[in-house]
Amino acid sequence: MSEIRLEAVTRRYRSARGVVHALGPVSVALEAGRTTAIVGPSGCGKSTLLRLVAGLDQPSEGRVLLRGKPVLGGMPGIGIVFQRDLLLDWRNVLDNVLLPAELQGMERRRATARARELLAELGVADFAERHPWELSGGMRQRVAIARALLTDPWLLLLDEPFSALDALTRDQMGVLLQQVQELTNTTALLITHSIPEAVFLSDRVLVMSARPGVILDDIPVPLPRPRHLAMREEPDFTAITRRIRTQFERSGVLTA
Amino acid sequence: MSAELDAVAQADQSPTRRLRIAGLGLLLPTLSGIGGLALWELAVHFFELPSYLLPAPSEIAQVMAAKSHLLWVQLQYTGLAAVCGFAVALAIALGLGALIAASPAVERVVYVWLVVFHAIPKVVVAPLLLVWIGFGMKSSIIFVIVFTFFPMLVNTVTGLRSADPDLLLLARSMGGSPWHVLTKIRIPSALPSIMSGVKISITLAPVGAVIGEFVASNQGLGHMLIQSVGSLEVPTAFAAVTVVSVFGIAVWYLAEGVERAVIPWHASQRGRGAED
Repeated sequence: MSEIRLEAVTRRYRSARGVVHALGPVSVALEAGRTTAIVGPSGCGKSTLLRLVAGLDQPSEGRVLLRGKPVLGGMPGIGIVFQRDLLLDWRNVLDNVLLPAELQGMERRRATARARELLAELGVADFAERHPWELSGGMRQRVAIARALLTDPWLLLLDEPFSALDALTRDQMGVLLQQVQELTNTTALLITHSIPEAVFLSDRVLVMSARPGVILDDIPVPLPRPRHLAMREEPDFTAITRRIRTQFERSGVLTA
Repeated sequence: MSAELDAVAQADQSPTRRLRIAGLGLLLPTLSGIGGLALWELAVHFFELPSYLLPAPSEIAQVMAAKSHLLWVQLQYTGLAAVCGFAVALAIALGLGALIAASPAVERVVYVWLVVFHAIPKVVVAPLLLVWIGFGMKSSIIFVIVFTFFPMLVNTVTGLRSADPDLLLLARSMGGSPWHVLTKIRIPSALPSIMSGVKISITLAPVGAVIGEFVASNQGLGHMLIQSVGSLEVPTAFAAVTVVSVFGIAVWYLAEGVERAVIPWHASQRGRGAED
C-alpha cells in the first residue's frame, strides 16, 4: 500500500482578482521509506501541494490520503521543515527542538534524550544551550531539522528547506540530510526548485508545470546510496538532470 | 562548516576597551549633571535672583535635608497611589487587550470609546474627580489608572497580534492546541511590545498621582507642591518636584530591569545583560 495518495487533487484560491487555479488536478501515489522530490518553477503550487499533504490546507476537489486515511491538520507522525527555520528567539536550541514534544504531550525526559541525540547527529550538540540568534543560517536549519525529527515522524515534509542558504552550506546540508534519512528511514517529500538537489536527495522526481501545477514527468532516480557530491558530475546523474531540464524547456518554463 | 563556526564566534571586545567605554558612559552624564547644577547655582548668585523666583540648588538641598522626614512621608503617600493605580491599569490593559486581540467584535464595540476617552484632556477634567469620587487617595489612584492604561492597552493589542503567522502555522502543524499557541507563541511574541507600553506608562504614574493630589488630596507630594507654591515657599516646591522626579527616574530604571529579565532574548536587549 502506498503511504501517501493524492486523488485528483486541485486547489483554487479566491482572491481580489477572482479565482486563482493554483494546483492540479494531481494524482500520485508515494511509496513508504522513499524520498520523492517535487521540482518546479516558483508559483507552480508545489508548496500548496505540501501544505495539502500536511493537512494545513484543504483541497478544493479530490482528496489526500495518508496511510489510507483522509489527512487532518496537526496529525502526529508528520515532521515539517520550512524554508524559514522558524526557531523561537526566546528559547535556546534544546528547548526549540523540544517544542513538538510539549505540543504533543511527549514525556519530557525521553524527549530531551532524543533531542540531544538528534542535535549530535546533526552536528550542533555543542550549541544546545545557545540561543538561535547566536547561530548561522546553516546551523539554525540543522536545529529546525532536529525539531522536525524529534517525534520520530514516519513522514518528513521538506518545503524548500535549503533555499535560503548559500551554495556551499546547501551542499553540506544535502549530504547531512541524506545521512539522517539513512538512520531514520522516514518517507520524505522534498519541495525544491533546484534540479541537482532534487536528483541528489531523492529516489523519484516529480516534475511540475507552471501554474496551475500538474505533473509533467515522473522520473525514477536509481542511483546507488550513499551518494557523494562528486556524483553530480557523473553521466548517470546528468542524464536525469538533463531530462528534467528538457521537460521545463518543452513546457516553456525554461527557454534555451 | 568552518565558515559557520566563524559566524558563531562572537566579535569580542578587549576588556580594557570595554571598561573604557563603560567608564565614559558613566563619566559624561555625571559631568554634564554637575556642570548644569553649577551653572544654575552661579546664575542665581550672579543675577541675585530672589528665592521665590528661582532658588539655588544649594538652597533646595538645604530645604530637602531640613524637611527630609516630611518629604519621605509624602513620597510614601504619593508612591502608594502611583503603585496601586499602575497595578490596576496594568491588569486592565492586559485583560482588555487580550479580549480585543482575540475578538474583532469586542474591538469594534470598545475601541471607539477608548479612543474618545484617550482624546479627552484628562488634566482639565481632573477637578471633576473631586466631585465624583471625593477627597483622598482613591481619587489619586483613579487618576493614575486613567493616565497610564492607554499606552499599555494599545501595546498589548499590537503585541498579541504581531506574532509571526508562519510560527502560528508551525505550531498548528505540530498539533498545538489554541492554549498552547497562546502561551508558547503569542504571549512571548507580545512581551517586547507590552514592555514598551509598560515603560511609557510607568513614568506617567507618578505624574498622574501628583495631578490627582493637586485637586483632591490634603496629603502627598502634589498637595505639598501646590500648598508651597500658594504660600510662595518656592524652595519647598522645588524640593517636592525633585523628589517626584527622582521617584519617576527610579521606576523607569525598575521597568528597564524588569524588561531585561523578561525578554533577554529580544534584539533590543541582546548584549546588554551580564550573562554573555
